[in-house]
Amino acid sequence: MRRWTAIPAVIAMTAIVATCTGGGAATGSASAPSPAGSVGAGTSAAPPASGDTTSAACNPPRQEGVTLTFVSFGGVYQEAQRKGWLEPYTALTGVQFTEDENSSNATIKAQVEAGQVTWDVVDVGNDFGLDANADLLEALDFSLIPRDELNEDLGISDYRIPDITYGVVLGYNTEATAGKVPEGWADYFDTAKIPGKRGAWDYSEGGMFEFALMADGVAPADLYPLDLPRATAKLNTIKDDIVFWGSGAESQELIGSGEVAMTMIWNGRAWSAKNIDNKPVEIQWNQQIVTADYLVVPKGSPNKDAAMKFIAYTACAANNAKPSELIPYGPTNKNSQPNPDMVNDLSVTNADENSAYFDDAYLIENFAEIDAAWLAWKTQ
Amino acid sequence: MSTAAGPGDRPRPGLRILAANRWSILVLPAAVFLAVFFLAPLALMSLRSVTDPAGAGLSNYEKFFAQEAYLRVLTNTFWIAVISTVTCLVVGYPFAYLMTIVPGRVAGLLLIAVLLPFWSSLLVRTFAWQVILRDTGIINRFLIDLGLISEPLTLIRTTVGVILGMSHILLPFMVLPIYAVMRRIDPEFGRAAANLGASPASAFLRVFVPLSLPGVVAGCLLVFVLALGFYITPALLGGLRDQMISQLIVQQIQQRLDWGFGTAMSVLLMAITLVILFIASRAVRLRDVFGSAVED
Repeated sequence: MRRWTAIPAVIAMTAIVATCTGGGAATGSASAPSPAGSVGAGTSAAPPASGDTTSAACNPPRQEGVTLTFVSFGGVYQEAQRKGWLEPYTALTGVQFTEDENSSNATIKAQVEAGQVTWDVVDVGNDFGLDANADLLEALDFSLIPRDELNEDLGISDYRIPDITYGVVLGYNTEATAGKVPEGWADYFDTAKIPGKRGAWDYSEGGMFEFALMADGVAPADLYPLDLPRATAKLNTIKDDIVFWGSGAESQELIGSGEVAMTMIWNGRAWSAKNIDNKPVEIQWNQQIVTADYLVVPKGSPNKDAAMKFIAYTACAANNAKPSELIPYGPTNKNSQPNPDMVNDLSVTNADENSAYFDDAYLIENFAEIDAAWLAWKTQ
Repeated sequence: MSTAAGPGDRPRPGLRILAANRWSILVLPAAVFLAVFFLAPLALMSLRSVTDPAGAGLSNYEKFFAQEAYLRVLTNTFWIAVISTVTCLVVGYPFAYLMTIVPGRVAGLLLIAVLLPFWSSLLVRTFAWQVILRDTGIINRFLIDLGLISEPLTLIRTTVGVILGMSHILLPFMVLPIYAVMRRIDPEFGRAAANLGASPASAFLRVFVPLSLPGVVAGCLLVFVLALGFYITPALLGGLRDQMISQLIVQQIQQRLDWGFGTAMSVLLMAITLVILFIASRAVRLRDVFGSAVED
């Protein structure tokens, strides 16, 4: 028996050492603003439109002594939300904000399960907030939120509304493509026509299956249910040319340095590569996927009512486009006017009949199968 | 506990154990800490793998084994861990030996060189490897400027990149246990062997190496077990196929919220690791191995 006494010691040592070195480092790699919405969410609870809802949303009452915890993805993104929504809201209503910058579906789940909910309003990706997560979220108050003004292509549910839109687009480095302009995803898959490596997000539901199908001639409206064998066959044609990225920063670096000639990329990252890093990067908007981030309220939030009023305020046409003052992420309210300087760089303003929308309900429902197909393709 | 024996008292038979182990009470804080913050969560996690979703039973495990891709990732995880361990051993053993034969001051410098990686974060080191290995990175630039190659070598996003990055990070865990054991090998043994007619090579191979084996086993076990849990390095330096199981676990826990499946994979990884430790415990006496490594 004695030799066994060493084993717990080894395990403990390993655990401690792993905490110091390997373990904790992954935070933030996979969970940048993730892709977003589409059709398919229930629409039953929408109240009738009225001028009253709109004005209630845009003109919240004073609420002295209230503090809301707002959680998003940090960086310039959260800065834009802070400047566009949080600070004006504080001036208007007296509501103070505490912020976290590490939005995560898992944290919401942990808080709700433990009965210790400290987050009130959370900005999440399109993989969260449909009926499948009903037990983790408060139903939104659509007597305040102007649901019928919101873009219905973006997968609204009883538990979430889209707050900003972005595009998953084809970005290209004009030096690496030697001035050639890829016209759509077919050119991404055609390395004979435009040579060079291709960047892709290493995530099964990030858009690569959709792009492969569109490159293969599937119309945006016919993407779902996904034809996985057809998509993987198409992906196989350029497998050795694909470079995976795991975070938005990495995609920006890959395309900016020209290490990849083209990449699937979030439009904000391509914009930053061009305008902040001053790299020869352009966006092909054709066949983009228009998607969104969403606001949700974790179930059991102690400030639920105040959270609803704030969410309604962000959805109000007069306020909804405010983040576009700082970043190329567009409004979700159809009546909201984006920053004129940014308007040409927004996913929504470049949307046309070739644009696709994620079917979030389908993607959430069929995740296991889709992810297994992705993993099988990768590791083969 | 008013019965503690005073100095000079001969403990009565019934108190002998208490007297002998009086100081063992000092491990209590550590034991309580481990129980509350390690064993209990571990037990809860294991439980979850068979109870989430309600009435899951073994379904989470069946789900894992039903997918060939998951098994491929599991195999790949062990394969990468094995290669990293071997790489660390090949680099670490001579290095540790060098540390034992050079003067003390030089040995100190070598020790610092080994420990240096500990002082910067894993993420920073991995990004540094990216800068070095990428197509437009230092190595490729250098070779292209010299005219030795015209097209960049593919170094990053390959298994080679993963092994390089992981071995660099894990090397101290190989070098330190080996060095600890080597330092205590009496140099007289080597001289005795030479006296008895052994050549330097055969004295090294037949006397020194066997005596250093406990350190080697300790280092290999530490590196191997740690390597199994890596995911940042393979994600940043590896290619499509260099997927390790921790990456899948993180995805299930953080993104998919399928905690039942995520914990099942974790339990599986832990179980296999324990089996390996068990087999190792048959082959060598772990107690000696870690006793000697930890002591020094």
